[in-house]
Amino acid sequence: MLSIQHLTVRYPGAERDTLSDVCLELPEGELALVVGRTGSGKSTLLGSVNNLVPRFTAGRRVGRILLDGADVTLASPRELADRVGRVGQDPLAGFVTDTVEEELAYGMEQLGVAPERMRVRVEETLDLLGIAHLRSRALTTLSGGEQQRVAIGSVLTLQPRLLVLDEPTSALDPVAAEEVVALLRRLVHDLGTTVLVAEHRVERVVEACDRVVAVLPDGRVRDGAPADLLPEAGSVPPVLELGRRLGWAPVPLHVRDARRRAAGLRSRLGPPPADPPLPAPVADQGLDARGVLVRHGRQVAVAGVDLAVPRGQVCALVGRNGSGKSSLLWALHGAGPRQAGTVRVDGRPGRGQVALVPQTPADLLYLETVAEECADADEQAGLPAGSTLAALAELVPDVDPGQHPRDLSEGQKLALVLALQLAGSPPVVLLDEPTRGLDAAAKATLTRQVAELARRGHVVVLASHDVEFVARTCSRVVVLADGEVVGDGPVRDVLADSPLLATQVARVMSPLRYLTVAELLTAAGSPS
Amino acid sequence: MSRQTPAPQDLPVLDVGVGTVGVRLRGWSALVVAVASAVALALLLWPFWLPARSGAAADAPWLLALLLPLVVLLVLAQLTEHGLDSRTLAVLGVLSALNAALRPTLGAGTAGVESVFFTLVLAGRVFGPAFGFLLGCTSLFASALLTAGVGPWLPFQMVAAAWVGMGAGLLPRRARGRAELAWLVGYGVVSAYAFGLLMSLWSWPLVAQAAPGAPGPLDHLPGAPAAENLRRFAAYALITSTAGWDTGRAVTNTVALLLLGPAVLAVLRRAGRVR
Amino acid sequence: MPGTLRDRWSLARVPRSLHPAAWWGWSLGTAAAASQTTNPLLLVLLVAVVVAVVSLRRGDGPWASSFRLYLLLAVFLVVVRVLYRVLLGGGEGGAVLLPLPELPALWPGGLRLLGDVTSDAVLQGLQDGLRLGAVVVCVGAANALANPKRLLAAVPGALYEVGAVLVVAVTVFAQLADSVLRVRRARLLRATPAGRGVRHRHRVVRAVVVPVLTDALDRSLQLAASMDARGYGRQAGTSRGRRLVTGTLLVTSVVLLGYGAFAVLSAALPTWRWYPAEAAWAQLDPGLLVLLAGLAAAALGFRSAGRAVVRTRHRPDRMRAAEWTTLLSGLACFAVVQLVARGPEAGVLLPGVRAWPSLTPALVLAPVLALLPALLTPPPALTGAQLPRAAAGGLS
Repeated sequence: MLSIQHLTVRYPGAERDTLSDVCLELPEGELALVVGRTGSGKSTLLGSVNNLVPRFTAGRRVGRILLDGADVTLASPRELADRVGRVGQDPLAGFVTDTVEEELAYGMEQLGVAPERMRVRVEETLDLLGIAHLRSRALTTLSGGEQQRVAIGSVLTLQPRLLVLDEPTSALDPVAAEEVVALLRRLVHDLGTTVLVAEHRVERVVEACDRVVAVLPDGRVRDGAPADLLPEAGSVPPVLELGRRLGWAPVPLHVRDARRRAAGLRSRLGPPPADPPLPAPVADQGLDARGVLVRHGRQVAVAGVDLAVPRGQVCALVGRNGSGKSSLLWALHGAGPRQAGTVRVDGRPGRGQVALVPQTPADLLYLETVAEECADADEQAGLPAGSTLAALAELVPDVDPGQHPRDLSEGQKLALVLALQLAGSPPVVLLDEPTRGLDAAAKATLTRQVAELARRGHVVVLASHDVEFVARTCSRVVVLADGEVVGDGPVRDVLADSPLLATQVARVMSPLRYLTVAELLTAAGSPS
Repeated sequence: MSRQTPAPQDLPVLDVGVGTVGVRLRGWSALVVAVASAVALALLLWPFWLPARSGAAADAPWLLALLLPLVVLLVLAQLTEHGLDSRTLAVLGVLSALNAALRPTLGAGTAGVESVFFTLVLAGRVFGPAFGFLLGCTSLFASALLTAGVGPWLPFQMVAAAWVGMGAGLLPRRARGRAELAWLVGYGVVSAYAFGLLMSLWSWPLVAQAAPGAPGPLDHLPGAPAAENLRRFAAYALITSTAGWDTGRAVTNTVALLLLGPAVLAVLRRAGRVR
Repeated sequence: MPGTLRDRWSLARVPRSLHPAAWWGWSLGTAAAASQTTNPLLLVLLVAVVVAVVSLRRGDGPWASSFRLYLLLAVFLVVVRVLYRVLLGGGEGGAVLLPLPELPALWPGGLRLLGDVTSDAVLQGLQDGLRLGAVVVCVGAANALANPKRLLAAVPGALYEVGAVLVVAVTVFAQLADSVLRVRRARLLRATPAGRGVRHRHRVVRAVVVPVLTDALDRSLQLAASMDARGYGRQAGTSRGRRLVTGTLLVTSVVLLGYGAFAVLSAALPTWRWYPAEAAWAQLDPGLLVLLAGLAAAALGFRSAGRAVVRTRHRPDRMRAAEWTTLLSGLACFAVVQLVARGPEAGVLLPGVRAWPSLTPALVLAPVLALLPALLTPPPALTGAQLPRAAAGGLS
């Protein structure tokens, strides 16, 4: 189907090749998962397939690309539109029109497909994606998962044999991501479409994929079975990690396989050692919010929530989209609306003592270099010059102060905003979906940073969908639903017993309440 | 599928230079823009050359309201004859939307078009005269579409804004830093008054149509010597807009360009060269 | 078309929205008719007809509610026109309604402010203001009736790119408004001590404008990539010959239109009589022919410029019987007024301020013609947002 031969790519002004001597053969009807660290060249590889790299991005590319045996090396992306369908990360940013039906028809209009055929294909695609009821809806009113399905549909109408997706689920919540992965699986199985998909959250796609293409830091690419290649790319789902560490062969990819293999382990091991009890809230110490009520018009987002978090504790807010996590964080900070309730920090009104890092941290950045941003924060907080820059260097050592903030990686941007927000050393730190767009390494760094904040006595509250991250990072979990607290307790109690929120290790080991690979390995006595 | 491994020296090489956002203004495009601008200006100045003839003065604004859009469309057709590359098209669309979206943000004291102006001047400067011309047209048309505000005033606003954008693109290319900012601020002031004058020129014959028999002192007198009408128009413009709105617009332009100019220029230039 | 006349009528009544060009043609026709007269009776009739058509045939899209603003604008224009006469004089004569002191001259040549307000001045202002207002209402009707997005979808091939820019602008606008809100909200997070003065204001505006702009431009890059990958891009390379033809046609057309307008307005060319009669309708201004030639050149130029494009439309609007009826009714309305203006009763269109205005049967026919779309076109297809209210008969 797709054959890439000796592909080497270098962008203008770059000092080294982003991809070097890549050879890849992708047979018809396969789903291949492309993995690699942020900035490793995943997007470059995907963009090369339909020649957006280098025709759109500029650069020098050596090598040959064959589609179904035809040499398309020099074709323009436009000529390949009906052979390679490409879907980006943020569906909304790629929409040209504003309603579902028009978006589906756009590509066909460009290629001059006859109106009658266009009509039929739009109808078929609507049914294939199960979105016929959304046909005349405005795209902005759709949920993230629906938007991504429309984006996939908008290239499917051109009936490409190969679909290329660049992190299609990274901006989605778990449920929406599940919908998208299920759709991909159906395309591969029912229509025989070949799919090439890049993804950070490997655990979402690994079950559906036939092979893994790993883009290595030096720009080379290897492909093979998931179990062999995922570790090399530095993104390993917990089940796989567990299997590798315990020497299981074949290494399980699914919870089901791992659970079968772990039967012996479950009978051999006792329950995990008890966690230290959560410290009881102390009066006039830490964050103390009572009766917080947030309404947007008639809709109640947060319905009278009480939340007390002592200093040094890391508390997670979990719950589906729209359950009020963000509204609660913004109300705690004081920048968002709050119709009733009090927020006190160390016994005093909370205003000015709370830092919040929003979902899209880049919204806070407006100067031209990292150093300027830091100097601005110093000035605002009345700190001696250079303090924030020093704090940033502690968080992430490899940031160049002269860089444009927008050119940083997601993890670096997050760290920068965190450093800026910590400039006045507020006792309470709130993080809204901090793991969005982070790769495994960046998440590990974030876990360390949060632990360090807690050690210094900050209160940390973070909202997240990522249960694996929560299990590694937090000591307490608060579950929100419909704006109310429906669960609150130590992380193990809340996550291990829930069918939805359980981590992969918890599912493998249930009813034993292990959460992370690390603690299980310690208990099993294998070197970690 | 058989796997063939060619010797690396036979491999095709695809070397693509960094593209730029912008539209060419040469050859036919330049000619059409020049001729159309001259014709449009001559038509806009009809109150000064129109002879006294019954009915002509009443018909002129309406005839113009039909012809001017056509002339604008002809120019747009020529400018996009080669096709816009996708990036230029996207930047045009996004900046047009931005002009419409920024209006309410910059808040009170910024009446209507001013925010459009300052981004228009900066974008014209960065992306060139033809882009400025297109952006002037599309910005005003987009915001008219979004507010369902398409009316007889629109073609005149579009032409005037297009000239403003084009003029910004024609400022000396070499100037950078303080000199550039000085040029832009100077141009911002001049274009604010020029835009106001053009709009007054449109409204004057409509609002101050000569009353038969006893024309008022500011009324347009069809067939009177150009100097006489010019005097009347100057008084009309001064009273209705130049002293008030236009000065406000000039001040807003100046302040916005001084405060935001360098930052926005940097952002636009960063977007103009793609990675 | 199968079936009886009755079947066909029922089919034609199936709710749908008309081709936007039909509504624009109709509204420009009525606007052109209104621009020809200061007769308040005719103007009021025309406005009433337009309001009736709008309230019967507009849909429930967001653009449909803009009509009220046009009505307000029309009222505002009438008031401005009258105030202008009161403040700055002109049209003196008739009874003094309100004696006001006259302020001294401010400008060489006798600019004065205030002075006696006379009935002639006020009536003059009213008549002219009414004409201006009526034209605005007619154009506003098109804004309310025609779906602006369908209008963009109907642009000729030569203007495809410009249409695409506007489609993108409309699409991105909603997202940008969100982005502005988000950034403004985020700004509250950055510990800015309350401050005053230019420096503080600078910081505030910059902290909103720069992230929104950067975000928007980053977005435009992704959008462009998505468009490229989905086949956007004109067939490469228009030939040299084609460019020559297009350029020549466009320049010729601009020159002809400009000269034609000049010739028509200043009567520069001697009148040409095409029929042996003295009546005004038997004479033709050759300037009109020049204008027509310019229009023809423009049409050919558009065709030539759009030749290279191969694109199709999903569910294109077509010009059907109802569309032609609408378009022709607007043009017929204008034609009737134009015929009257060239006939012996032309004075009725421009009555003085001292006599009560009157109407002729022909002039009553004009608004009646413009009313036809309210009866002969299918009702609008509603998107459903306001269905219950509309079904209850309440199109407020």
